[in-house]
Amino acid sequence: MKKGLKRSLTLLAAVTLAFGIAGCAGGSNSGNTSTGNETGANNAAETKGNGEKTKLVYWTYQRHDAEYIKAKIDEFNSTNQDNIEVEMTMMAENYPQSLDLAFASDQAPDVFAAQRPNEFYAKGYFEPLNDYMTDDLKAKFEGFILEGGNQFDGNIISLPNVGNTIRLVYNVDMFEKAGLQPPKSLDEMVAAAKKITEIGKADGIYGWSLPYKSPSSALGRSAEKIAEMNGFHRSGFDFKTAKYDFTGWKPIIEAFRQMSADGSVLPGSEALDMDPMRAQFAEGKIGMYISYSTEPGVYNTQFPAKIRWDATLVPTIDGGEPQGAVDPAAITWLSMSSESKNKEAAWKFMTYMYQDEVLRGYHEAGLGISVLPHVLEGAKEPSVPGIKSFLPTKYDAAWPIAPSGVTPEGKTWHEEFVKYILVGGDLDQVISDLNASYNAALDKAVADGKVKVTADPSFDPKALQK
Amino acid sequence: MIQKWKNHAEAYLFVTPSVILTVTLGIYPILWALRYMFYDYKGYGEAKFAGLYNIKRLFRDDYLWDAIWNTFVFASGKMILTLPVALLLAVLLNGKLRGRNLLRGIYFMPTIFSTAVMAVVFYLIFNSYNGLLNQILNMIGLPAVEWLNMQNAMLTCIIIAAWGGIGNYMLLFLAGLQGIPKDVYESAELDGATGARRFWSITIPMLGPVLNIIMMLAIMSALESYEAIMVLTGGGPSGATEVMHLYLYKLLFPVSTGETMAQDIGYGSAVAMLLALIVGVITGLYLYLSRKLNDIYS
Repeated sequence: MKKGLKRSLTLLAAVTLAFGIAGCAGGSNSGNTSTGNETGANNAAETKGNGEKTKLVYWTYQRHDAEYIKAKIDEFNSTNQDNIEVEMTMMAENYPQSLDLAFASDQAPDVFAAQRPNEFYAKGYFEPLNDYMTDDLKAKFEGFILEGGNQFDGNIISLPNVGNTIRLVYNVDMFEKAGLQPPKSLDEMVAAAKKITEIGKADGIYGWSLPYKSPSSALGRSAEKIAEMNGFHRSGFDFKTAKYDFTGWKPIIEAFRQMSADGSVLPGSEALDMDPMRAQFAEGKIGMYISYSTEPGVYNTQFPAKIRWDATLVPTIDGGEPQGAVDPAAITWLSMSSESKNKEAAWKFMTYMYQDEVLRGYHEAGLGISVLPHVLEGAKEPSVPGIKSFLPTKYDAAWPIAPSGVTPEGKTWHEEFVKYILVGGDLDQVISDLNASYNAALDKAVADGKVKVTADPSFDPKALQK
Repeated sequence: MIQKWKNHAEAYLFVTPSVILTVTLGIYPILWALRYMFYDYKGYGEAKFAGLYNIKRLFRDDYLWDAIWNTFVFASGKMILTLPVALLLAVLLNGKLRGRNLLRGIYFMPTIFSTAVMAVVFYLIFNSYNGLLNQILNMIGLPAVEWLNMQNAMLTCIIIAAWGGIGNYMLLFLAGLQGIPKDVYESAELDGATGARRFWSITIPMLGPVLNIIMMLAIMSALESYEAIMVLTGGGPSGATEVMHLYLYKLLFPVSTGETMAQDIGYGSAVAMLLALIVGVITGLYLYLSRKLNDIYS
């Protein structure tokens, strides 16, 4: 090869490489949906010269309320007197990882939907809101600021908006056909699942299902809520002793196992995600399951139900008066980034979003169940058909915050219990092992200074009821 | 010395990008993980030196050893199913078969499809309740099978993995077959060797070097694959299809908010090193044995 050609090729390679590297270093495109007017690469807020707009970036992972939030943001953009323009970016997937990347690359949003508060507080992502909050706002949210939930070391990182109530969702047609009432006890639930399967199996109808593909999704929406209703915190943590104790869960997990052993569970539930399971319920193939107050929205828009369905309180162990309450977990919503260059503007936007009218509209649209008395006052009943059965009762009430970041070595309780539910085994041994592994993890977290716990022998879960 | 550098300047220039990439994307992360395996680090906050804690934890982590066992089952199943079928197809398509180029393309096609997309398609086929396969079984009067339950999920994953791998190995076998001189077959034919005899006495021995490479690739890829399983079963039900690299992935990148496994960079680094060691030892052992066998038979 001639020397000139060699040099040309070398030069070409060097230029290509330089452009390649420059290209890699350019703006990122995360493939997410940006609903603002601009979809520029730089997500950081920018303040322009005199008279120009202050641009804020807002990130959310919630899709179900996008239409409502976008309308409110448009309203804010067109009415605010401070020349602030908010651009909403709805992240498609992997929200926590996207936030990590954004903070690591100095492209953090100004305002974002809070998630993993414990972890993100430790990472320093949150701007404390204490100094921004007016006395009026403090008064409105009094009782909803929870240390370890939306407050860490006295720093308020977010305020709540809505929570999710939990109900047993059932196929009214099948319950009527079987001559059954919605179950009040675990035994009734097991018997109902069995009877519905007996009369429906020929048509492919089974009494019970849960998305067991993800143990945390399956039991997080069901068993742990039944546990709370019966006076046991959803994490397994016992506030009276400041130890983990899953012993009280035994009848709940046994009931779930019994439904599997009876053949009352929709075949293939082990490999089901939530949405395919909902699709089967909408088709009338499932007698009942337990889930969040998002279900009415799902059956009105996503999977229009072909059957009559309703929802009721989750059963208690013996069918008697609940000994606890189910936590709607209304803890966080919007947070301000510690790295925002326009914190005053960001707070103005947050103040707008947290105003009563916006929160009330959110509740009335059925996008979530508000737990805030000042919002519920004068609020109309949510408009989504089916939501009525999900409206808060005295059994929907907040629990104290249990220790977070206690991760046992090996399998979690979700995984151990789902394994037992699917294949059986020695439940006493499973519970004993779980108690040991969770308490070992708790002891280590306490020793490392990551968690502080105090026993409260007078703790009464029944007193949580409103 | 300077003159020597100048003489090789272009060579160094060409080599530099790959050296930079290897160091930054290959060697640096390994060194990083080697360091963090001795730390208690959850991905945020302060990394605290933990000595041998993570290493000791490896030996009492039943979940990990279950996943390693599942990996061996998966890898063995995949190879037992993939390699003979791939070889058979390669032999058939190396002959004078009508439309062989089209068939080669068809069999190779699964290799170019996205594993994740195909896992979703296979879910629609193997879904126990209303999957295509069970509907066909019902139509011909056979009972439905719960393809994705605790007992059958691993087999289903193996079938899907084999489907995705056969085309690739078929192509490698084909390349090997085309390197065998035709006159050897002609001589054998003149000596009266049957097709089967020619296969066992000529094809297999002469494929030896290619077979070695294919086996090594197959072992490594089977031990390291997890993508289809992640989409199809997520390692479930109840860990029945949890393979070791999926477990590692969950430790380092717990992607969904509902994930029960918490991010643990320190322990994840220790697991990564163990898995690299396992894959390295098995591959090394295979290479050693195959060389020994070559020495014996050559």
